[in-house]
Amino acid sequence: KITLPPLTNSFFFLYDSSKVQEEVDLTRDGIYYFSPEDTPIDQQELLCGQLAGVCRCVSELSSSPVRLLHLRKSKYAVRMKDKFLWALSCVVDIPDVSVCDLLDQLIALFCFYNGPVRQSYQLYSKQELALRWARYLCHLQGGSTELHHIFSCLRTIDSTHIDPLLLLKAALILQACQRCPLVLAGCILYRGRVVSTQMPPALTVKVMVYETQTYSQDFQVTANGLSSLVGSPFSSTATTQVFLMPTELHMLRCPPVDRACRSHCNQPPCQPSRSRLLSRTLSDTPTTDTDSSMPSSPRSSLSDELCFSPSPSRVNTPIHSNLMNQSEYFTPDSHVHSTSNGTNLCAVEEHLAGLNINQIKSEENKLDANNHVTNKNGNGETEEEAKTKSKQINRKLKEKNEPTNTPSPHETLEDTSLVPLVLYQHRVKGLVLALLVEPEFITDHSAREEVHHSSLASLNGLEAHLRNTSPGTPGPPGPYTFAHYDCIQNTLTTNVCGRSVGPQDQAFVKATKLVHSHFSRLDTLQEAIVRNASSAVYGTRTTAQETYFLQQGTPVRNSGSPDPQDSAFSLPRKARLRLLKHGVNLL
Amino acid sequence: MKCLLLANESAEVLFYWTDTEFEQRVQEQYGVSQEEGERLPAFEDSINTLFAPIIISCSTMVDRLGDNYTSFSTENNHIYVLHQFEECLYIAVNGDGDETEEDLKRKIFVMKKLTEIMFGMVTFSGALLRKELRPQDTEQRNRLWKKLRSLLETYSRLRENDQSFLVEAVERLIHPTLCEQCIEFLERRLVQQINSNMDRMGEEVLHAFILVHTKLLAFYSSRNASNLYSSDLLALIILVQDLYPSKINLDETSEELESSSVPEVFYTPEPSPPERESGDSPPVFQFVDPDVQMAEDSLQTLEAPTPDPSAPSRVFLESKECPMPHSMYCLPLWPGITLVLLTKIPNSHVATSVCYFLEAFVKLEKRLCEGHEGAAAMRGQPSVQEQRSRLEKLIKTWTSQLQNAWTDFKNKAFSRSGSGFTRDLLPSCRNMKTQLCGVYRQFFAAECMGSSQRLAPHLQERALSMVQEKLMDWKDFLLVKSKRNITMEFPGLIHFIYVDRSNGQMIAPSLNVTDRTVSELGKGPLADFIKKKVWSLVATAQRYLQKGYATVTLRDGDYFYCYFLCYNISNENDMGYKLEVIDIPSSPDDGAPVGMLTCDYYRKLLRYYSKKHQNEVVKCYELFTVHLGVIPNEYILQHCSQLARKLWEPTRIPLL
Repeated sequence: KITLPPLTNSFFFLYDSSKVQEEVDLTRDGIYYFSPEDTPIDQQELLCGQLAGVCRCVSELSSSPVRLLHLRKSKYAVRMKDKFLWALSCVVDIPDVSVCDLLDQLIALFCFYNGPVRQSYQLYSKQELALRWARYLCHLQGGSTELHHIFSCLRTIDSTHIDPLLLLKAALILQACQRCPLVLAGCILYRGRVVSTQMPPALTVKVMVYETQTYSQDFQVTANGLSSLVGSPFSSTATTQVFLMPTELHMLRCPPVDRACRSHCNQPPCQPSRSRLLSRTLSDTPTTDTDSSMPSSPRSSLSDELCFSPSPSRVNTPIHSNLMNQSEYFTPDSHVHSTSNGTNLCAVEEHLAGLNINQIKSEENKLDANNHVTNKNGNGETEEEAKTKSKQINRKLKEKNEPTNTPSPHETLEDTSLVPLVLYQHRVKGLVLALLVEPEFITDHSAREEVHHSSLASLNGLEAHLRNTSPGTPGPPGPYTFAHYDCIQNTLTTNVCGRSVGPQDQAFVKATKLVHSHFSRLDTLQEAIVRNASSAVYGTRTTAQETYFLQQGTPVRNSGSPDPQDSAFSLPRKARLRLLKHGVNLL
Repeated sequence: MKCLLLANESAEVLFYWTDTEFEQRVQEQYGVSQEEGERLPAFEDSINTLFAPIIISCSTMVDRLGDNYTSFSTENNHIYVLHQFEECLYIAVNGDGDETEEDLKRKIFVMKKLTEIMFGMVTFSGALLRKELRPQDTEQRNRLWKKLRSLLETYSRLRENDQSFLVEAVERLIHPTLCEQCIEFLERRLVQQINSNMDRMGEEVLHAFILVHTKLLAFYSSRNASNLYSSDLLALIILVQDLYPSKINLDETSEELESSSVPEVFYTPEPSPPERESGDSPPVFQFVDPDVQMAEDSLQTLEAPTPDPSAPSRVFLESKECPMPHSMYCLPLWPGITLVLLTKIPNSHVATSVCYFLEAFVKLEKRLCEGHEGAAAMRGQPSVQEQRSRLEKLIKTWTSQLQNAWTDFKNKAFSRSGSGFTRDLLPSCRNMKTQLCGVYRQFFAAECMGSSQRLAPHLQERALSMVQEKLMDWKDFLLVKSKRNITMEFPGLIHFIYVDRSNGQMIAPSLNVTDRTVSELGKGPLADFIKKKVWSLVATAQRYLQKGYATVTLRDGDYFYCYFLCYNISNENDMGYKLEVIDIPSSPDDGAPVGMLTCDYYRKLLRYYSKKHQNEVVKCYELFTVHLGVIPNEYILQHCSQLARKLWEPTRIPLL
């Protein structure tokens, strides 16, 4: 049985009520975007008009914007800001918290690539921006299971079938890039899935959209005024202007790692208040921290234990922190990396890649054929052009803003609060290295060269390895169903696969929705077992994770009356036991 | 900040209730927008204006999308819940976080239930309900709205403080001997005497019961009475509590904490609870010695003066056929103890006939709306001729408006020049409905009944003094007993509620955190905390039950919570045998809340089960428990199972 993704039949719209104030104003003038776009205009007007009217009335009564609106057959997450109203609908059984998260992600995506909404609509036409909304919507809705929607989590590669060394390698590439002071943070994606990231989950999601665009090869340079692609036959790079919230930027600019250790000089001074997010470079890792029996390394000048203690609350490079912490600390090679100029890193990578060197060669030849689309787009544009383009935009903006009425204080606040930055991406077939870099990166030719060259070979190698890693026959499905959500890294591990879902899986998803929504409402709730006649599901959570577990098989007969022998109550024990091999530790 | 509002489709407010905070807020909003020197509009008008856009949007959504709003929530956590019953839209608002969406929905359904109890079948006609809820005469309207507001507040108070309104089941005082004596007394002495007296004005006592606060001491139904549903009994308790409220003094709690000489009791679990044989284990609950816990000054109640003490209230109670009109006499024996008599009134058989025809016209209207014509429109009903002649016979004694409506209907439906059974008949059909409701109203609405229609006052006085005499020696005991019904002894068990859904009754240790008497949990912040947890446990369990989950265990903070819903086939000698759980249909989100007061969810559940076990009596019970979290799960579950076994027994005492 195929279950449709829960959002396929949903409505999404952006409505500007400032355009519809007089009696004579048409509702359609206020509709900036409506999805699905083929909805008859009178129905669009009906929905937008009614919902906007009712939301305004309620928000006036309560002096607060409406957040959620339930109807009998559907529900809408709502955001109201500066006369704008966004609404995203879904079926009623999706948890409230999930649909609200989705809408917020969608708005955040738009602002990430386009800047403030009001300003975007001054710069570009509704049609142009409609394309973008559609793309973001499609990215958030498409291709994942209902469970992904419930947790609105990142899609990651299935690490169980991947050599852990490859994850380490990905992390090393990112760290190598970070040696350039203009590079703030990065992530590596493979075929639309996260391999390794240094960014907080909310940022990674945003970067991934861009990747999806290019990956699906319908990316248009025109879509975003400031784009350039520079490509060789084997790989291509692109830069895009993006907008970050000050909090996000703060986290990126103030990593817990002492940048003095980087190879480059002219480092920005380290902020005293260190964010606990972001990665450290392997070369900084004092070996003594992990094994006290070893003699202290003379090179380890850092003793900031806080930064290096493997705390689960820190967003770390690898997706699977347990695994990677181990690798970092216990890989026998680790001392090799300790010279801080990065060359040895490459050597290690070559070593890692070396086994399949012939394969890589042949793959690189194939790349020629596949890459021409992006290359065609990118070849012409140089940095100079990009620069002038950016100036043009600024001028265009000024022209647009000045003659029109001055924006409200609230709007100005919003406008100034977003900080422009640049997203650099380097793709090798299905593999993408995405870096958030300071705007000067575009003009700093040597920095670009260095980042490009230092990562190129490693990316090629990694791509070849990932491509040759068989997706893994998912093995006989175990006699249980589980989902493990990592709240910190925003990732999901589950054995509910694909879109074809059996009755047991459906029962599992249904219970998971309910318990997840219960967890989100009640902070003190630690575990729950819910049971109906055919299934029993166990859910448990800590601040860092939520885990759900269902034991399959014929349901044990029960009368519903309390019975210590009841199999439902042995679920916690079984979950602890069974999930260990999936790297889920519930002890 | 709370509000509840009823409006009809033309956005006219039929009733509203607000707390002072909400009222202030509305006035502030109008104060700002008002010109200097201009008078503030009447509050009712402000409310009307404020909600009009929502109400109008609701009907637009229904008309054009076939969907309707069920709730809104805002960023500052204000909740609006909407529900449409026929032509009447209910809106409940909460802005202070005390109530959840589910609570508000329940409040709406309870409000609906209360209007049904007060107006019966009149609620079937939008036009008549409007007339009933919004009388032209301002004074009359104010009186009615005051009554409705007071009922709503009484309900909210009970819902917040009384466990039997939390789980919506009647709590009995557990004293089998006294209970049986009382039932016998009600039957042999009281009811018999009244029903054989000439001064009863054609009324006949069908049910009689004694309440101690909200708890039931004894209940007697005469042989020819139809069943009194738990939902009605609960609603009647609200009415009684509204007339004679039990005093809950919130202010005394804090000072009592200091002066309290009662040592606080903490339950600590035994390191390893010993295996207990059911034979020699100490009783799980026991009756409390009345002499010890006497607290004289907890017995005061607030007197609410009634204008005419011997006038009965008109109540409409569910029966198999239709809402049947009854008169309810509340006779206060002592503060906190009340005798309630429900009588059948003369002419009540008319209600059955009116209902019969009303149902026929409702069905006809539905079939016509669906596009069925001619004979198809009458499918599923007794033959047209039969109904026609039956109606002809009865109609002569009923209103002239109905007769006119009937003539009009006949002309259209049966004559050659008329339209026959087509869509064109709809207006006449609707008119018949309204007129039938009108007849019902004329016969039974409280104000239409002659003020002389009542049991003679001396008869009421006699009944009162008889029961007073009977219970004189028991009254103090009963009042204390109602505060400490049962106690429990299990290390680690904090609280439990056991509900027998087959008879709508519950058992639980007391949780009177605001009262002067010390409850099982001691008092003060801990007891208050536990109370909140119990309340949220029940709400949670009901939410899961609504989605089809009959067993739920939760570990929340330092406590472990369990919920079980189970079925038994009852037989004579023992517990009967357990029924296997079958999947409970999960109800839609916009359905009625789980409970007994509003929609009798459990009655439907039992019916659903009984289909598979015809000829057997299916029983259904629920158990909620709160344990300390440090106790190992297997002991908790073992204890739950012991508790369920023990609690099963007392409910088998035939009391109802």
